[in-house]
Amino acid sequence: MSMIRLENLVKRFGAFTALKTMDLTIADGEFVALLGPSGCGKSTTMNMIAGMETPSEGRILFGDRDMAGVPMGRRGVGFVFQNYAIFTHMTVRQNLSYGLRATRRPADEVVRRTNAMAELLQLTPMLDRPAAGLSVNILQRVAIGRSAIMEPAIFLLDEPLSNVDAAFRAVMRTELKGLQRSFKQTMVYVTHDQLEAMTMADRIAVMDHGVLQQVGTPLQIYNDPANLFVAKFIGSPGMNLLHGRPVDTGGEVAIDLGALGHSLPLAPEQAAAARRAKGDVVFGFRPEQAARVGEGQGMAMPISFVERIGARTILHLGEGAASAKTVFENDAGFEMGRALHFAPHPSAVRLFDAASGAALRGH
Amino acid sequence: MKDESANLSFRLTLPAQVLVLFISVFPLLMQAYISLTDWSPLSGQSWTQAWAFWNTFANYSDLLSDGRLWSALGRTAFVMAVCVPIEFMLGLGLATLFMDDFRGKRVFYSILIMPMMVVPAVAGYMFFMLFQSGGPVNDILSMFTGSPVTIAWLSNPKLALVAVMVADIWQWTPLMFLILLAGLVGVPEDQVRAATLLGANPLQRFTSIVLPRMKTIIGIALAIRVIECFKIFDTLFIMTGGGPGVATETISVYIYKIATQDLIWGYVAAIALAILIVLSVVCVWALKRMARVRA
Repeated sequence: MSMIRLENLVKRFGAFTALKTMDLTIADGEFVALLGPSGCGKSTTMNMIAGMETPSEGRILFGDRDMAGVPMGRRGVGFVFQNYAIFTHMTVRQNLSYGLRATRRPADEVVRRTNAMAELLQLTPMLDRPAAGLSVNILQRVAIGRSAIMEPAIFLLDEPLSNVDAAFRAVMRTELKGLQRSFKQTMVYVTHDQLEAMTMADRIAVMDHGVLQQVGTPLQIYNDPANLFVAKFIGSPGMNLLHGRPVDTGGEVAIDLGALGHSLPLAPEQAAAARRAKGDVVFGFRPEQAARVGEGQGMAMPISFVERIGARTILHLGEGAASAKTVFENDAGFEMGRALHFAPHPSAVRLFDAASGAALRGH
Repeated sequence: MKDESANLSFRLTLPAQVLVLFISVFPLLMQAYISLTDWSPLSGQSWTQAWAFWNTFANYSDLLSDGRLWSALGRTAFVMAVCVPIEFMLGLGLATLFMDDFRGKRVFYSILIMPMMVVPAVAGYMFFMLFQSGGPVNDILSMFTGSPVTIAWLSNPKLALVAVMVADIWQWTPLMFLILLAGLVGVPEDQVRAATLLGANPLQRFTSIVLPRMKTIIGIALAIRVIECFKIFDTLFIMTGGGPGVATETISVYIYKIATQDLIWGYVAAIALAILIVLSVVCVWALKRMARVRA
């Protein structure tokens, strides 16, 4: 019933195309994050699901029901706005009970459900306080409670954590995930913060420039990015991407990285991918997956900056197009200006087509 | 430190304060002084000599028993009670329509606010001509009824008042519309959307979200129109001159007549001062009530 299907969805605003094409199926009870930089079309997609915008092309289905022409008040979606859109001229209680009162539920039911929701969200002490002047943390819970009290089958959240401070964001991530488990609703969550998407979502849909780039579980997206954009966007720091050429030395394949040296012989799957490459490739590896090697064995890059963040040390290597970052567990006497001899683990290497940016896969 | 800056502000604004005092307080005192006398410019004495005609509070006791004054006041209140609510409802309706996009919105917008730009005297002549017995209003009515209509609008005591009110509504609905549109634009769209998503119908959205947000601006719009309507004069005077008889004589027209025709300025001053005091009391009370509702 509360499965969401987006089919060939397109949205144009005059000459500007906000969403070029979108096909996505969100399962019943699933938590999907729409992740991307600002202007990627994620909020537009969400607004169309809610019915605030009309698609230029394509269909939106809830279960088997086409939502075209169904006004937003009848779609049964809960929506948490980025600015929360709290009714500041009302009390917390009036905010929470607004939907129940608007749909004319019996007075005793309104009281009972409002109190229950307030209890769940720990809002009971401020139920009769005016909503204006409450802290952001409380406003957010009011906004969630106000939608959740209607027990919508689908819950949409538009960057709900972008206004809260970093410490509270961590608390709210856990709290939101817990709420979703208890409500068991289908949740679509728009964010530009990959940490929020990675920690909360069952699946992430990465978007850029109005195009869906990749859909997958957080680990799929992290481990096997579909293209260069996802590789760069996910991870902090993002994946290292260096231009290179596959060299087949009878049975073993390595990547020649020019002046930087060469990779270790690739693992079978990566080797198969490299053999499929038509020309140059982009050689990718996560900063955490590099290990130091002896001189002359792998790659050599000058250390341009040493960033120590306590538990880990981030090394900035090289400059310009030939730059990379590596992350090591501890500070083993790294010195700026000295060359670092290292190589990524053969199975951690990801290869991309240099021309199209798409990932090269072994099978 | 704080005293010093307060002192500096006082000295810096002193010239402006003196000017304001001179402009507003001096005429008021002069008026209060004249209102206690029988002075008239025809007496040949300058107004400073008005004490020679001192009559204490005779003017004020006169105005309490001045039937023409009271019926003028009643008429003014009636015009206000009819025109302001109609202008408000029309303005609010139009403003709500203009929140949506439709073809030719900009053109309609310009046409709609045009009456407000027309000089009231010109508007008076316009409606004077429209409401002639052989004028366009009757022609249009004839078209609907099928038989020639020759209503003498401006010489019928009841219809003249209607004509005057129509002119006022035509001219001042646009102001209501503009102010209320500004208020509507200021209502946060997300809150209206949130209410919609929670299942509120358009009427519920309007009464629970839009109206509370517009309380202040509605108060301001009504206050402006009530004060303006109380002073209604120019358009009306050109259309009917307060007639036929005294059928459209509002308080402004009455004061104008006794000041220019009867030239009893002491009495005029007394009426004007009495009205000012009553209006001020009412306004202060209304403002205080509004402030309390908001708090």
